[in-house]
Amino acid sequence: MSILANKDTRAVIIGGVAGVNAAKRMAQFDFLINRPLTVQAFVYPPEAGQQKEIFRGGELNNITVYGSLAPALQEHPQINTALIYIGASRGYQAARECIESSGIKLISMITEGIPEKDAKRLRMLALQHGKIFNGPSSIGIMSAGECRLGVIGGEFKNLKLCNLYKPGSFGVLTKSGGLSNEAMWLCAQNGDGITSAVAIGGDSYPGTDFVTYLEMFENDPETKAVVMIGEVGGSLEEEAAEWLGAQQRRIKLIAAIGGTCQEVLPQGMKFGHAGAKEGKKGAGSARSKMNALREAGAYVPDTFGGLSKAIKQVYQELLASGVIKPEAGIDESLLPQLPPSVQEVMKQGEVVVEPLIRTTIADDRGEEPRYSGYAASELCEKGYGIEDVMGLLWNKKLPTREESEIIKRIVMISADHGPAVSGAFGSIIAACAGIDMPQAVSAGMTMIGPRFGGAVTNAGKYFKMGVKEFPNDIPGFLSWMKDNVGPVPGIGHRVKSLKNPDKRVKYLVGYVKNETSLHTPCLDYALEVEKITTGKKDNLILNVDGTIGCILMDLDFPEHSLNGFFVLARTIGMIGHWIDQNNQNARLIRLYDYLINYAVKPERPVPEKK
Amino acid sequence: MAKILEGPAMKLFNKWGIPVPNYVVIMDPNRLSQLGEANKWLRESKLVVKAHEAIGGRFKLGLVKIGLNLDEAIEASREMLGTKIGTAEVRQVIVAEMLEHDEEYYFSIIGNRDGAELLLSTKGGINIEENWDTVRRMFIPLDENPSIERLTELAVEAGFEGEIAERVGKISSRLILCFDNEDAQSIEINPLVIRKSDMRFAALDAVMNVDWDARFRHADWDFKPVSEIGRPYTEAEQQIMDIDSRIKGSVKFVEVPGGEVALLTAGGGASVFYADAVVARGGTIANYAEYSGDPADWAVEALTETICRLPNIKHIIVGGAIANFTDVKATFSGIINGFRESKSKGYMENVKIWVRRGGPNENQGLAAIRKLQEEGFDIHVYDRSMPMTDIVDMAMKA
Repeated sequence: MSILANKDTRAVIIGGVAGVNAAKRMAQFDFLINRPLTVQAFVYPPEAGQQKEIFRGGELNNITVYGSLAPALQEHPQINTALIYIGASRGYQAARECIESSGIKLISMITEGIPEKDAKRLRMLALQHGKIFNGPSSIGIMSAGECRLGVIGGEFKNLKLCNLYKPGSFGVLTKSGGLSNEAMWLCAQNGDGITSAVAIGGDSYPGTDFVTYLEMFENDPETKAVVMIGEVGGSLEEEAAEWLGAQQRRIKLIAAIGGTCQEVLPQGMKFGHAGAKEGKKGAGSARSKMNALREAGAYVPDTFGGLSKAIKQVYQELLASGVIKPEAGIDESLLPQLPPSVQEVMKQGEVVVEPLIRTTIADDRGEEPRYSGYAASELCEKGYGIEDVMGLLWNKKLPTREESEIIKRIVMISADHGPAVSGAFGSIIAACAGIDMPQAVSAGMTMIGPRFGGAVTNAGKYFKMGVKEFPNDIPGFLSWMKDNVGPVPGIGHRVKSLKNPDKRVKYLVGYVKNETSLHTPCLDYALEVEKITTGKKDNLILNVDGTIGCILMDLDFPEHSLNGFFVLARTIGMIGHWIDQNNQNARLIRLYDYLINYAVKPERPVPEKK
Repeated sequence: MAKILEGPAMKLFNKWGIPVPNYVVIMDPNRLSQLGEANKWLRESKLVVKAHEAIGGRFKLGLVKIGLNLDEAIEASREMLGTKIGTAEVRQVIVAEMLEHDEEYYFSIIGNRDGAELLLSTKGGINIEENWDTVRRMFIPLDENPSIERLTELAVEAGFEGEIAERVGKISSRLILCFDNEDAQSIEINPLVIRKSDMRFAALDAVMNVDWDARFRHADWDFKPVSEIGRPYTEAEQQIMDIDSRIKGSVKFVEVPGGEVALLTAGGGASVFYADAVVARGGTIANYAEYSGDPADWAVEALTETICRLPNIKHIIVGGAIANFTDVKATFSGIINGFRESKSKGYMENVKIWVRRGGPNENQGLAAIRKLQEEGFDIHVYDRSMPMTDIVDMAMKA
C-alpha cells in the first residue's frame, strides 16, 4: 500500500525539457516494477504538436506535447495527477488550471522561486477543491513498487539500492529533495524500505503540511512508522508534534530537525531553504521543534547521523512485537537491468557496429581539433600556417618549409581575378540581388568547371601521364592527347602569348625553379610541351592552371585535390566581392536590352490548343 | 526574503497613499544644496540625515544626525558619505523632514500561511517592546481587504479616538493594499507620527521586506534587496552570488569568521544538517555553503577555491546526501580542480578533507576524488554506507 501515488496513477507533465527528463526517469521506474507508463502527456505551448521519445526499458514510447491542458485530458481521460515543471512566472496559472480540472486529484510542483503569494493562493484553492497541492520546490513523490512522480530516487541503480521496487513499512516526509532520497536509503539499509516518500518542498508556504500526510500514513495499514525530516522555520513540525501527542497513534514517528546551528551563528544569518528562517523570540527554532516532538513521543536523534540507529531500533522493535512480519528479500539479480545504450555495450566490447563513415584526416573528439593527429593549437604555437593545414587535411602530411611557401604563393596568386570573370561576376550578381554570403559565394562557385578555373586537375593529371608514358617523346604525347582528349589542358590562353607572357606563370616558374630545391619533373615536361605548342601557335603557352597543376603534382598532392587550390583561393576573392557589394549597398542589376541580341521569332498569335 | 532600504520603501508607501515625510536620497552633498534651492521644505524644516545603507546600529555609529538645518545637513552628509564600516561604504544618504509631532503610533503587517496579520498600537516609538500588550491585531484573509469601517473599529479597540481613529483606519487600509500589491512579506512602520495642529501623519521610519521571487511582475522595482545576513556581503560572497545568478542550479556561500571547519556541502537540506553536526560536536564552522540542482563544474570549482582560501581552517567537509539528479562525477571534478588549484597556490596546508556523497555516477566521482591521496592531500573518502554526518564526528576526533 501507499499514499498519494499508486499503480493507478497516470500523470500529465506541465513544462519543457526538465519535465521530459523527469518523464525519462519515471519511465525507468515503470520498467523496474513492470507497470504501464506513468506519464501520458506533456503540456508545453512552445512545443505543442511535438512528440517526445520516452524509453520504458527497451520499449520506445512517443508521448504527445499538447498546447494546453484541456485537449491533453480529453485524449487521456485516465490522467489523475499533474506534475508542474514550468517556470516560476507561469507556475501559478498552470497549477491553478490543474487544480480546477475535475479529473486531476494530485498536483505536485517542482518549480522553484514561486512567489509566496502564489503559493498561498494555490494552497487555498486546493483546499477549496479538495485536492492535494504538493510543493512548490518538491523533488516529487515515491511509492515503492507502485509509482514514481518526479526524479525522486535518483538514478536507476539507486532505485534498487533503496529497495524501491517493493513496498516496505516506513513512510518518509521531508522538506528537502536530497534528504528524501537519503531517508529512503536509510529505511532500506536499517529497515525494510518505504511505503511512500513525499518531499513537500522547502519554501515558506508549502501547499500541504506534515500533518496531512501523517494522517494518510496513519490510515495506510502497511505504513508502520514514519521518518520525518524537518528544519528550522514555520510551524509544520510543531503541528506534527501536536498531532502525534493528541491521541494514541498507530504509527511511530522518527524525526530529525535541521538548523540547531543557528543558535551559535550570527544573528539574522540566512541559510538553507527559503522557509528556513526563525521567527521572533525563537518561534520555529530547530530546538523548540525537537523538544515538541520528543515530548509528543517521537524518536528524535541529536544529529542526522543518529537517524540510522533510530530507524534500526524502531524496526527491531516492530519486528519483535510482530507488527512487521519478517519477509524474505527479493534476489536482486532477478530484477531487470536497464537496457544499455549502444555506446555502453560497445565500451564493454560486447557488440560490433559497422561504422557508417570513415575518416582519415581529422578528429575533434578531444579537447580541440586534431589534423592528422596534430593539435591545432600546437601547430599555431610552432609557427605553422594555413598552407600547412592544407597539406595535412588534403594530403595527410606536413609540407616542408619550401613546399609550404610554394603552396602559399599558389593560393595568393589565384585569390582573385577581378569582377569580370564568371566566378566573381556570379557572386556579384547574387550580392546585388540581396542574397546572403554563403549562397552568393556558392553562386560564384558553381561557375568553376571545364571552362573556368577547373583545368588544374586535368592539367596535372595529363602532364604527369606524359612524364610516365611519353618520356622524351613530346610529339607522341601531343598526338595521344589529340586522339584521346582534345586540346591539352593547361596549354593556351585567350589573351596572353609568347610575346605577352602571363606574369603569374613567369613568377611561379621562376620561384620554384630558382628559389627552391623542389624536384619538378611535371613542370619541366610541361615547359617542353610549351616549346612545341608555341611553335605551332603563339598563344599556346603554358597557362596558370597548367603551371599550378604541374607544381602541385610535383609537390605530390593527390590528383583529385588539385582543383581544390583554385576553389579555396577563389573563395577568398568571392567573399571579398560580396562584402564589397554590400558595403556599397549595391542595387539589383539586370542586363540592358542593348547587351542582348534578341534573335527570337517576331510576335505572333498563339494557336488554339489541339 | 528581501529587505529593502528606506528610500525604496518610502517610494512604495507614497505610491499607495501611505503618508511619508518629504525626503531625498543623494550621493553628493552638492546635490543637496541644489535641491535646497528648489524645495522649500529643505530650507524651512528641521532635517534628519541618515546613511542609506544596510548597516545595523546606525545611530551609535554616528550615521544618523537629527535636528539639522540645511547647511548642517549638507555638512553631515559630507561627513557621512564615503565613511567605511567594515566592508561597507556609505554611498548614499537619505535626508528627510523631521516632522514636529504630538504622538507616535505603531503599524505593522506580517504575512502568514492564510493571509496576513495587521498590528496597531497607540504607543509606538522606541518603547514599543515594553508596550507590546497595547498592540491590537486583526487577521487579514488572503486576497481580502477589510472595510474601512472594520479597520476603524480595530483602531478604536486599540485606543485611537474620533477623527484620528478614522484616519488610522484609512491608513491601515492603504497599508494592506501596499502589502498585497507589492508582494510584501512584512512592513513595520514605527513610528507613524501625527501633528495634530494640521492632522498631518507621516511614516518616519519603516522596515519592509518584499518577496524577491515576485520581481518578475513588478516593473517599477528599481532597487536591489539589501544583504540578508545582518551585515554587508564580503567580496567573496558577492562573487559567488554573481556566479549563482548566472547558472542553472545554485551555489551559495556565507562566511563565518573565526571558524575552523569549512563546509563544502551539497543540497539545501543536507548542508544545514552538516552545519548542525559541526556545532553539536563542539566545532566551529568557518562558513555556510551549498551547491545544488546539478550546477556546472566550473561554478563548483569557484566555490571550492573560495572555501579553500578561508583563513585558519583545519577541516573541509565535502558532504552531501544521495543526490537525485546532481551528477556526483561532474560536480566532484569541479571540486578536485578547485583543490588542486588551491594547493598549487599554497592554500590548504594542514587541512584535512572529509568526503561523503552518493548519487548519479557516485562510483566514478568518489574514485576520482580518492585519487587526490596520491597527490599528497590529507583526504578521507566515504560512500553512501557511511551515515551522512558521521564524517563530521570523525573530523572532530581527528
